[in-house]
Amino acid sequence: MVEFRLPKNSTVGKGRTFTAPAGATNVKTFRIYRWSPDDGNNPVVDTYEIDLDRIGPMVLDALIHIKNDIDSTLTFRRSCREGICGSCAMNIAGENTLACLKPIRDIEGDVGIYPLPHMPVIKDLVPDLDGAYAQLRSIEPWLKSDTAPPPDAERRQSIEERAELDGMWECILCFCCSTSCPSYWWNGDRYLGPATLLAAYRWIADSRDEHAGDRLDALEDPLKLYACRTIMNCTQTCPKGLNPARAIGRIKELQLERKV
Amino acid sequence: MSNPHKPHVKVMRSQLSRARGLGSAQTGVAHWWAERASAVALVPLSGWFVIQVFRLAGASQPEVAKWGARPLNATMMLSLVILTFYHTQLGLQVIIDDYVHGKAHLPAGLLMKGIVFLLGLFGTVSVLKLALAGSSRGRIAAG
Repeated sequence: MVEFRLPKNSTVGKGRTFTAPAGATNVKTFRIYRWSPDDGNNPVVDTYEIDLDRIGPMVLDALIHIKNDIDSTLTFRRSCREGICGSCAMNIAGENTLACLKPIRDIEGDVGIYPLPHMPVIKDLVPDLDGAYAQLRSIEPWLKSDTAPPPDAERRQSIEERAELDGMWECILCFCCSTSCPSYWWNGDRYLGPATLLAAYRWIADSRDEHAGDRLDALEDPLKLYACRTIMNCTQTCPKGLNPARAIGRIKELQLERKV
Repeated sequence: MSNPHKPHVKVMRSQLSRARGLGSAQTGVAHWWAERASAVALVPLSGWFVIQVFRLAGASQPEVAKWGARPLNATMMLSLVILTFYHTQLGLQVIIDDYVHGKAHLPAGLLMKGIVFLLGLFGTVSVLKLALAGSSRGRIAAG
């Protein structure tokens, strides 16, 4: 059966509190999930009171401030700090998003920060995405064409054919969408999840690709594809404003189209 | 560096092998399409049924039996009953797929389909009884 409760070793306890420095006037409280594989303890939520006047506007600025100046043991992924690498995907104020694109002032009250939901945690805010990456690898997200490219040029597309890929090539594979999806939580071992299905449709829709049929064959499965229940959390949460639900809907349409 | 808290590793199969699993089942379209097609068909059928229930409100047993004996009403009722229970088992199967995992999955689906089949058959027999026997019983009652 599906698990409706957290396992015993995952129930979250109360952690330490780091109070704001004296004289701080613009204080915001951050409650951050902490878990380390090294001590065998349950996860806790640590409380950090941050003086917003000392840091930049984004949640990532607060995390970097904590790590640099308050608690160097806080562990999280980040790289580009401008929403193109997808490293700092996490659950902020109940919503999966990129810490670098999330303004602190958009969040009312305390800021709760947790790792992406329902993935194994490596440490603190770092989830284990190996399974999700392997699922992406399984749909073979690269151009497959039997026609040789022109010897002196790239493979060409019309303007209209290229436009078909808009809204898909922008995906940065942060997996905010997949980890927001209840179907992916319940059946993530077989359901591919919105991020991977968006990537699959990106190649099905590519005019230069010649293996759309093989790709549809590989997806035609009650769980790999059809575990999508059109809950639409994926589209609502995407920090890049993309629409994975539409891509999944298009795959379902094509599956039907080739049957009748 | 050994970690004393690290649990015993039971699965060393690669992530790609796990992601590919047993491959694609090559089904799913038919179930998905039947779910939607039956849902659309049930919209007018259910509307028709609600109207008929309101029209028959307060009617006597012989009046309802006479209504059920008309071929058009019997046809609509059979369509409604059969499609409703067909759609029910399609939908419940989805819920079982979502929430029941492992060894319980197959028996749960079979049990659900058996119960829905019997309920649907009961409804079908009831409609047929009204359709085929209603008029004769009316005659007996009149005679």
